[in-house]
Amino acid sequence: MKTLFHINIRTPLIALLLIIATGFVARAQDSRIQLASLDHLAAKANQTVDVAIDERLIRIAAKVFSDEKTDEKEIKQLLTGLKGIYVKSFEFETEGQYAAADLESIRSQLRGPGWSRMVGVNSKKEGNLEVYLLLNGETIGGLAVLHSDDKELTVVNIVGPVDLQKLAKLEGQLGIPDLEIEPAKPKTKNDEK
Amino acid sequence: MNDDYLWDKSGPPDPEIKQLEEILGTLRYQPKPFEAPAPRRRSYFPLLAIAATLLIALLAGGIWLRVRTRDEVPPQQAAVPGKSPISAPPVEEKTAPTPKPQKRLAPREQNVAVYRKRRNTPPALTQHDREEALAVKQQLMFALRLASEKLNLAHRKTQSMSPANQIKNQHRVG
Repeated sequence: MKTLFHINIRTPLIALLLIIATGFVARAQDSRIQLASLDHLAAKANQTVDVAIDERLIRIAAKVFSDEKTDEKEIKQLLTGLKGIYVKSFEFETEGQYAAADLESIRSQLRGPGWSRMVGVNSKKEGNLEVYLLLNGETIGGLAVLHSDDKELTVVNIVGPVDLQKLAKLEGQLGIPDLEIEPAKPKTKNDEK
Repeated sequence: MNDDYLWDKSGPPDPEIKQLEEILGTLRYQPKPFEAPAPRRRSYFPLLAIAATLLIALLAGGIWLRVRTRDEVPPQQAAVPGKSPISAPPVEEKTAPTPKPQKRLAPREQNVAVYRKRRNTPPALTQHDREEALAVKQQLMFALRLASEKLNLAHRKTQSMSPANQIKNQHRVG
């Protein structure tokens, strides 16, 4: 009876432990960066941008992207599988408003397992720009961009599989101040109908 | 105390051992003639229960599909005036003086087409949801544009650098 009891208890216990362990591993591989350590800079900043869009909001937004417009269709495809997009950007009046420790708090997270620094640019004019990718084998599991210059600090974090080529293409397509205004397109025969 | 009794039952037994033997002796194996157990009737209850569950699930699925189809596709009449397409003999259709348009679908095909079209169309958003979605869309577009700008900037910078510097700047961390 005792043995039976042990067997009965042991199996679900092992299963439970496995589930918990899997959860921890999945959490460890999560490409979400904690940006809360930069929040104190908002008080010093001249302009602050804080975007936090989780998976639920991405799904909601994806519903209003048109399948018929090519550019919106591409963005919708890009959003497929994404679990979050987080941006924090601060623009300061004067130099030296943020400390090296602020940058280090972000960089330390990007030294975690799976993250690779793909690009690091140090320019007097453009400042420091670093691009990190979370690689899950052959696929990209997340992206982080860290840009800092004398008067600006920007962190972009995209959680989930990102198509870098498609993302890079978007700059031209999305450079519109009011995003509800459609760009002028040449009329096609289908439009006239 | 003589231990030989414990090994081969030789020598005088210890009274305690004897007492234990008497107590435990009642539980000794008693040979009995073999009695074949009466054949048990096989219980079909589990099989019947599984079959009934599957049947109920199938029925429920069928009813659900039927109700859903009925809700989404209202019954439509054939647009052909006069005789119904079912009752019309095929010979008459061929010899009719006014030929039907070739692309016209049969009522069933029309229903299927309408059903498929509706099925592919996402459910309409409420006003509140739409407003929320548009607000998120703007934020999303901004974030993507910013990410795109930064990526392109990095790309431009790495392209303008010498190959030696590029290699130097691409290293693995972690």
